[in-house]
Amino acid sequence: MGADLIDGYVADLGSRLQGSRKQVRDLLTETRDSLTDATEAHVGRGLTEREAQERAVDEFGPVREIANAYQAELAVSYGTRTLIWLAVVLPLMHMAWEYGRMLLIGPWQDFGTAPPSWYLFVAKANDLTSGIASGVALVALVLGRLLARRCDAKLLARLGATVALAAVGAVLLGNLSIIAATAHLDPARLVQSLPMTFASAVTWIVIVRLGLLARRCLSCATIVV
Amino acid sequence: MKPDALRGHLDALLLATLDGRQLHGYAIIEALQQGSGGALDLPTGTVYPALRRLERAGHVASDWSTVGGRKRRTYRLTPTGQKALHAERTAWREFTTVIDGVLGGGGKWAQT
Repeated sequence: MGADLIDGYVADLGSRLQGSRKQVRDLLTETRDSLTDATEAHVGRGLTEREAQERAVDEFGPVREIANAYQAELAVSYGTRTLIWLAVVLPLMHMAWEYGRMLLIGPWQDFGTAPPSWYLFVAKANDLTSGIASGVALVALVLGRLLARRCDAKLLARLGATVALAAVGAVLLGNLSIIAATAHLDPARLVQSLPMTFASAVTWIVIVRLGLLARRCLSCATIVV
Repeated sequence: MKPDALRGHLDALLLATLDGRQLHGYAIIEALQQGSGGALDLPTGTVYPALRRLERAGHVASDWSTVGGRKRRTYRLTPTGQKALHAERTAWREFTTVIDGVLGGGGKWAQT
């Protein structure tokens, strides 16, 4: 009967949290442990089980206030994980695609006539976007660590989510631009090599996945618990 | 002591509590309360996000282990955390020396 109080508190807390399932589970395990420890300590001081649990829950703090503090940390953690993914995956994905293109299609200049300068500009900009987005994610990670104690966790989480969304948005725009430019210049090039068409599809799946991660970052950082 | 007055010092208090030992969450809370003679009146739930914040800053590291059939997350100071604690102690001594000079018995404020 008495266990219902702790179970109820932990369940209420869990229902308000959003983030990595493992992180939420860890926080809730720790919360349950703490409440159980506090209950045992109060029972040792002469309270009944029920009274001890009431005291333990009361001392732990209002569930809304605690959920807010937990959620801020979960959001920062989710943002950090997403930024790591962006910093690592974006350049790797771009390099893999470019290597595949050179291997299977060859340089752009080998298409009979050299592409116009505007096309090369779009291609160059797209090449740079992944590197810049990855670099920005890396800088955000370093700043996040340096500011961990100085900056409010909620603000840090929102900044991380914004950087992640902007980075994915820039890569998305870069890829759309090069596809649109290629389609305008010579649509046949888009489907010239089946393996490269497949590689492009994989690239898009990865970008969409990263976009969903970034969107969830923002959701974690802005959720009202 | 009111929670609001403590919040700004919670990180330093946690670092000091973990100085030279490895503790799980509730043991940290108990050590904080014992160390203050029961004067620290903070919702115990606020300690866990603060520990996560310190972990993010690289000042604290944690490990899960099973103790008495229950999973426990234990925390310890990292070398960076040790340096941060030293800096916090130095800053606190300077702060209290200055404030004590004004509010303490010998200053002009005490005589008015």
